[in-house]
Amino acid sequence: MTDTALEAAALGKRFGRLRRSAGWALRDCSFALPAGRVCAVVGPNGAGKSTLLALAAGLTAPTEGSLTVLGGPAGQARARVGFVAQDKPLYPQLTVAETLRMGGDLNPGRWDARAAERIAAGGDLDPKARIRALSGGQRTRVALALALGKRPELLLLDEPMADLDPLARHELMGVLMSQAAQHGTTIVMSSHVVAELEDSCDHLLLIGGGRVRLAGDIDALLETHARVSAAADTDLAPHTVVESRTTGRQLSALIRPAAPLPADWRTGTPSLEELVLSYLRNPEAKAAGAPAKSPEESVA
Amino acid sequence: MLEYRIDRHSGVATYVQIVQQTKQALRLGHLEPGDKLPTAREVVEATAINPNTVLKAYRELEREGLVEARRGLGTFVRRGLGAAPADSPLNAELDGWTAKARAAGLDRDDVAALFTAVLDKHFAPQFPERTAATQHSQGEPS
Amino acid sequence: MTALTPPAPGAPHLTRWLIRLHRPALLFWTAVVVTVSGVLLWLGGPLADASAAAWRAYDACQASACRYDQAAILRYKDVYTYTTYAVLAAPFLVAAWAGAALTGREVETGTARLAWTQSTSPLRWFASRLALPAAVVTAGTGLLVLLHHLAWSAGRGRIDTLESWYDPPTFYANGPVVVALALAGLVAGALAGLLRRGSLPALAAALGFTGLLWYGVQQAMPHLWTKATAVTGLPPTGGGLGVDEGIVTATGAHVSNLTCGNSETDDCLALYDKFDAVGWYRDYHPASHYWPLQLTATALVLALTALLTLLAFRLLHRETGLRTGRST
Repeated sequence: MTDTALEAAALGKRFGRLRRSAGWALRDCSFALPAGRVCAVVGPNGAGKSTLLALAAGLTAPTEGSLTVLGGPAGQARARVGFVAQDKPLYPQLTVAETLRMGGDLNPGRWDARAAERIAAGGDLDPKARIRALSGGQRTRVALALALGKRPELLLLDEPMADLDPLARHELMGVLMSQAAQHGTTIVMSSHVVAELEDSCDHLLLIGGGRVRLAGDIDALLETHARVSAAADTDLAPHTVVESRTTGRQLSALIRPAAPLPADWRTGTPSLEELVLSYLRNPEAKAAGAPAKSPEESVA
Repeated sequence: MLEYRIDRHSGVATYVQIVQQTKQALRLGHLEPGDKLPTAREVVEATAINPNTVLKAYRELEREGLVEARRGLGTFVRRGLGAAPADSPLNAELDGWTAKARAAGLDRDDVAALFTAVLDKHFAPQFPERTAATQHSQGEPS
Repeated sequence: MTALTPPAPGAPHLTRWLIRLHRPALLFWTAVVVTVSGVLLWLGGPLADASAAAWRAYDACQASACRYDQAAILRYKDVYTYTTYAVLAAPFLVAAWAGAALTGREVETGTARLAWTQSTSPLRWFASRLALPAAVVTAGTGLLVLLHHLAWSAGRGRIDTLESWYDPPTFYANGPVVVALALAGLVAGALAGLLRRGSLPALAAALGFTGLLWYGVQQAMPHLWTKATAVTGLPPTGGGLGVDEGIVTATGAHVSNLTCGNSETDDCLALYDKFDAVGWYRDYHPASHYWPLQLTATALVLALTALLTLLAFRLLHRETGLRTGRST
């Protein structure tokens, strides 16, 4: 297994060169995701999250730059990569049991039938029920069972929890985390709701306007940023200012300190949501990458 | 088996909640030396939190000498905490005191406030800042 | 971390699931082939015999009061027409299915992406989508064409109103060109489905392409083999698959004219006078050209089908390929 699950270098993807809607969905993206991490891909709708996941899954080829997946070009590691698309496509005419059997047939040598059935069974699903008769949440469950049954080393999930009620969301997130704990599976999941992923993820990839705005270990990112309040006329140099706002005589800002902060500033660590929102509200703030910490060792 | 309850809105870092709840269990005697902590997998399956968060909490407990990781076997309690198991006389005294407070018309919040004030008078606060605790995440003995 | 066992060798069973997913279509196709085959056997056997007997009775009678089984003659002719058009519909049926269901719906609903993220590459997936259907279509359409040819042959020399070999519907339903056209429809449908425009437009595109291709083949057919020329007196006579015809002038020159071939209207007679016509020439294909024409046209359609297949694979490869990207 390679140490880096996903590595992008100047990655770009343009859609529909001939169509009216031609444009770059992703541009100049460079980042590295260490293996064994649970990475949140966060950003507003239409930011390029789905495009990035489709590129990693080998469903579409980059227009420029490169994307390395589990040590090789994207698309070469198909057997070791699991993917669940946003709309959870499944064959409507098959039953739940048939869908899982198909997973076994299409992933010879990797399929873990017991794990797949266990995930599907968690939702009180009748194995003989047809996919077309399932609710959105039940479909998500089957799609996840199909993706996890192949025992992927890298699991790519596009808005996986959108259709789920809070109970199922909690349970399936638990299943995913246990997969990560047990097999060291690298999980990449996108969402436009930061709070949904906050407790489960340890790595962040913030995408805005087709570009990587923030990438790195979440704890490290929070540590390298500070929320400060000081007098309104304070000069924030030499620190990198992500966002600043003056109300009356008070200046509050989110900064990336370049040196120890003066003692008379009131400082605090931002929450993940504050950090993400600050970057998204200020598209001109410079993208930041934090050095990724070495992946932690799993205890089975 | 110890079950952790994670409160996302408490403002307390998740790994700190695990450390606190483990210590609570040690204090109350729910966990005793030799007991096995739940595996990271068991914890995350039930709580949906990141496995590394659990490992971080366990390392913190290990650093404090409360537990030890045995490779391939799991994490085990090395020593208990305090001398106030659930069936101790101190417990009975507190129980009696609480009953009296209730009889005097205090509600739950009143009792908690009173108790916290007394605690703060006798002990220094335990987890002042999240950042303070993250600094020793590397290089501990194993 | 738990090391994962390397994947054991073994091919994914794509074909099994293709059959499962398209079971209704496969059953429908089988039913169509079996039914039309049965009718063709009936046509070439009892119906042809009854019609031939009726014709014998008709030809033998001299008097005004003739007794012959006119119903048998009409029945043979009707059933012949229906089955001929049923055979000719096969390429359209295949194209419509391939466009809508084979790839179009999978691309539209995203199940294609589901398949591509199992342990199979999109190219292998597409190959499996073409291979078995191509075999089934070839077998089915081939059987129909063979039985049609036999049913038609059964009437040769016995049924006076039997369609000539060069009557266009008969010509196509009797030979392998239709099989090639069905394969072209299959590939065109599969390609149209990949273009991400939805299954309905793919269906329409596949039907349109198959129709246009057929029209093109029909236009090209006379020129696919060296023609023969026959010169007759006026009025002209003779059959065969026509290429060109016209007036032979007194000097021996040929003046092309496609309207007066069998006519002695005033306009035509004036024309004959104008060019000093001494005879009528016909460039045509005699019955001996039947197989050369059929085989050349078949080869042409198959070559085009191969080209389309290549195009589809290239398209898919470009879209999902293993490129590491190029810098611009």
